[in-house]
Amino acid sequence: MSRLPERPGQRIDRSRPLSFSFDGKPRQGLAGDTIASALYAGGQRVFSRSFKYHRKRGEICGCGQCANSLVTVDGAPGVRACGEPLVEGMRVEHQNAWPSLGFDVMAATDRFGGPFTPPGFYYKTFIRPRRLWPLYEKVLRRAAGLGRLPKRQEERTWETEYRRRHCDVAVLGGGGAGLSAALRAAELGADVVLVDDDVEPGGALLVEGEHERARDLAARCAEAGVEIIFGGSALGYFDGLVAVWQGDTLHQVRAARHVAATGSIEQPLVFPGNDLPGVMLSGGALRLAALYGIAPGESVVVATCERRGLENALRLQALGVSVSAVADLRTGGDEDLCEQLRAGGAELLRGMTAVRASGRGRLAEVTIAAVAADGRAVGSSRTLACDCLAVCGGAAPASSLLLQAGARAAYDQAANRFLPGSLPAGVSGAGAVVGHEGPAPSLLSGSLAGADSALALGFGGPEDRARAEQERDRLDAALAAARPRQAPPALATDGGKGKAFVDLDEDITVKDVVYAAAEGYDSIELSKRYTTATMGPSQGRFSQLAAVRALAEDTGLSMGELGLTTARPPWAPVLLGALAGRPFEPAKRSALHGRHRELGATVEWAGEWRRAYDYGDPAAEALTVQEDAGLIDVSTLGKLIVRGPEAEEFLDRLYPNRMSSLKPGRIRYGILTSEAGRITDDGTVCRLDEETFYVTTTSSGAAAVENWFSWWRADWQAEVALTDVTQGLAAMNLAGPRSREILSELTELDCSNEAFPYLDGQHAVVAGVPCLLLRIGFTGELGYELHCPLANARALWDTIVAAGARPFGLEPQRILRLQKHHILVGQDTDSESTPYGANLAWAVKLDKDQDFIGRWALEAQAEAEPPHQLVGFSCPGGEVPTEGAAIVRDGVVTGQVTSSRRSPKLGQSIGLAMVAPGEAADGTAIEISDEGRRILATVTTAPFYDPEGEVVRS
Amino acid sequence: MSVAFLRPVASADAPARSPLADAAAAGGARLGVRDGWELATSFGDAEAEAEACASSVGFGDRSSLTKLELQAAPGRLEAAAGRLELGTAVLEDGAWACPVAPGLRLELHPAGRGGERLEVLEEAGVNVLDLTASLGAISVRGPGAAETIARFCAIDTRPKSLPPGGFRPGSVARTPGHLLREGEDGFLLLFGAAYAEYVWQQVASAAATLGGRPVGLDALSAPEAVHDA
Repeated sequence: MSRLPERPGQRIDRSRPLSFSFDGKPRQGLAGDTIASALYAGGQRVFSRSFKYHRKRGEICGCGQCANSLVTVDGAPGVRACGEPLVEGMRVEHQNAWPSLGFDVMAATDRFGGPFTPPGFYYKTFIRPRRLWPLYEKVLRRAAGLGRLPKRQEERTWETEYRRRHCDVAVLGGGGAGLSAALRAAELGADVVLVDDDVEPGGALLVEGEHERARDLAARCAEAGVEIIFGGSALGYFDGLVAVWQGDTLHQVRAARHVAATGSIEQPLVFPGNDLPGVMLSGGALRLAALYGIAPGESVVVATCERRGLENALRLQALGVSVSAVADLRTGGDEDLCEQLRAGGAELLRGMTAVRASGRGRLAEVTIAAVAADGRAVGSSRTLACDCLAVCGGAAPASSLLLQAGARAAYDQAANRFLPGSLPAGVSGAGAVVGHEGPAPSLLSGSLAGADSALALGFGGPEDRARAEQERDRLDAALAAARPRQAPPALATDGGKGKAFVDLDEDITVKDVVYAAAEGYDSIELSKRYTTATMGPSQGRFSQLAAVRALAEDTGLSMGELGLTTARPPWAPVLLGALAGRPFEPAKRSALHGRHRELGATVEWAGEWRRAYDYGDPAAEALTVQEDAGLIDVSTLGKLIVRGPEAEEFLDRLYPNRMSSLKPGRIRYGILTSEAGRITDDGTVCRLDEETFYVTTTSSGAAAVENWFSWWRADWQAEVALTDVTQGLAAMNLAGPRSREILSELTELDCSNEAFPYLDGQHAVVAGVPCLLLRIGFTGELGYELHCPLANARALWDTIVAAGARPFGLEPQRILRLQKHHILVGQDTDSESTPYGANLAWAVKLDKDQDFIGRWALEAQAEAEPPHQLVGFSCPGGEVPTEGAAIVRDGVVTGQVTSSRRSPKLGQSIGLAMVAPGEAADGTAIEISDEGRRILATVTTAPFYDPEGEVVRS
Repeated sequence: MSVAFLRPVASADAPARSPLADAAAAGGARLGVRDGWELATSFGDAEAEAEACASSVGFGDRSSLTKLELQAAPGRLEAAAGRLELGTAVLEDGAWACPVAPGLRLELHPAGRGGERLEVLEEAGVNVLDLTASLGAISVRGPGAAETIARFCAIDTRPKSLPPGGFRPGSVARTPGHLLREGEDGFLLLFGAAYAEYVWQQVASAAATLGGRPVGLDALSAPEAVHDA
């Protein structure tokens, strides 16, 4: 098929042919073509099959907004052929048709499936018999969706660059209004970002013969310092942040002011057969001709209800397209345009519109008639042979971003538009999106919006304000001259059979909307959800107005009363991969992480940290700790410095325990509770001096505890300095019978039990490194925690290991602590656990004079029996129940296993469980139900190992 | 007892180790000892490293900076350490004084210095903690520095919003941190030391998209580099 003569404004480069394939067959296009324009130029008219009925679908918008030309390109599905630039060697395939686009087995649903697939059919079918659901699911999954993802994960990966861009004014939309807005704001001194989803800005100017003006405006914008993001889709408005997806970059644009100049979207007409390939929007036909030099048909008929359609028909004629007839629903007005059209050879049919499109698989003829108010044809009709019907059913403002920002859409009867109003502060609209249509009004509107935005930020001066006021007056005058528009009927029909679609994406007809309303889904939100109208890939761009009109016609409600559905992001389709983007996965690593890797540690996530779980043999590591000496990296512990004259009172108010009685150099275990007396964290407090305390917390609770402390410091206005030093200090626990011996070799500190007793904290230099040593025993063995600056940790670790301590990981530590019934907050406790239920009543000092957090709740708890009690258990049979397994009695769940392990030292399976009070006595037999297994266990209330604590105090 | 144990030992014989040393070494760094700290001193091509800082973007480890946290009631802090406007750090005698909040500030001193300052402040009744080991630091330098930072940080780095001396607490690659603009094309990122490897990877990945590269401390300390910063 030959192209139209070369003209200025075309995007194609006729000297650079490109080869590609479509469904395996070689095709040709030109540099500058889209996939769809190249296919169209080669005679392709069917691009896809529709979602439900698998009807043939052809090109309609020519700008990448519709779903009619979704194809798979190089294995990636869901590409809009009419917006995607052609690249040499592309492998393009159809979607949603089998075995071929020309012959699709599933098209049988169009012929026979209608009665079985009304709106909401999936709520009523494929339910019974239930046993067939696996089969239904298989069939439905195969039939549903558009396109197939590549099977191999490597072909599905995606990495997006995130880019944050702050600016003074963000202009969304690069048509005439947007370019004017950006230029004006930049000229006033603002930092401006302009976003447009086309390969070059200009919007409608590019196809209306104003491409030179568009390019001139764009060049001036660039010169004025405007950053123009081409080919970028604005996905949504998020409290001042606009996300823009451009290729493999996700821009997060934050602006002080936003100007939405997103234009309007031409709307189709609704009549039987309106989905036939060959029926397209007049703007789509114009884009084919103006940008790609392609005649949309040999014989084109235009059907319109607004001036825009006449203008487009004239432009088509000027580009060399044969327009045989123009049907204008309006009976008068725009006589000048009509005369020009007649002079160009078109027959004018006024007061008439399309009432049927016919053809076998593609358009062959259109029936034109006058219609009554209800859309039924009246009087005589004309049937015109044609292969392209270019329709213009008015336009709908592309107002989604404005509505997301908080604007409200109201139906303007005269304009036949839902126009956004009540714009929030800092957001303005320009051009067609706010009803300022036409070349002059839209440019004026844009310039004014740009000026207003910049002036509001303090740019410009009195003369700029004066100029803006003059522009405002001129715009008002231009808008006042606008004539009322005529709305098309909800359905224009000759009364015959045939589907008339309101939503091509979802195959929703006028009849479907009426059917849903009859079932009670008669508000626009319910109608949308039940019929799925506007929920397809084009998100209602070409269907929302028609759907509202159909529902209004059926219910008798006005368009304004029905309104629009809520606008939500994303406005443009976006890959999930683009949103997931660059893998930000913050990981904390201790200073010893490299050493753990070198030692072959199994490294796993523990909250935000990467931790060594074991070094290959957790059982042996645990035994070494109990029989020799081991060393574990506990740098992840939360560490806070609390200092000040009110530090001790501060801690007494936070902890149920009494911390003020600590002497310098002593340590006390403490639990933190909520105001409701529930355990939230635990740790130790070491008094360093009169006014300084060193607080440790759980690894996962560090940030929350710091927040908690900060909150209460502010609330009580405590004279306390609080600093989180978790990441600045490494910590390692040297534990085992030989730990004292090893430590003594490395420090001059007297490590004897007399000089350094249990729960003492002392400063010392160990292997040349200044440390705070805490003699505490989470593992249940003689042990010391060495806290030192992160930067010196590796040297210290290496020295201690060289002195004979064996590294051990988190897993053996868990075995060891379990032997001692030492709890892990968050594992052995939950949000309802109290100190009384967790055997920590000793840590609550109700006799404190000081009020403290949770006191009133703890006082009540002290008087009552806790609903659950944490107890130890052992399994005589040797099974190790799964953590989380249920404790059952007489078939009723009465508790759960919180921790369980096999102890290599004790040679038995041990654990902790929350049980009902009646099962908490020592020796009670309990039953564990674990994934179908029944495990018998015996309650043990005392620690399994060293119950009197003699070892740890030795 | 005191909090002196927070301060790392840093000497030529017993150097402190930068939290970024492992990550930098994995990226081809040569580790050396400077001012008692073991860190990346070069990446093997001094000329290329200098060129990166001048024409695209170079990033390097400056974790050896001494970092002091000052806390006191706002009036006392001002009296002891001078008045600062929130959002603006002041450079004096080679040290940056960075206001975090009323009553809380960070002082950044060259490596190995700051000890006397700490004592003076404590005597004035200010709570001072040595957070040198708590915070990692990466310099990002060059014409592409702001764009590099925009890949992982939402702080507004336009000169009018963050001029030289501008200091902002904020999210650095989704972790709590700070950003200081040291010069027209020079920024300093501060972040929790435990995040060091992760932040280095994010900076490296972002810089690579703009033709940037890691540089050693020697390149960052070169006179022309200091001047540009």
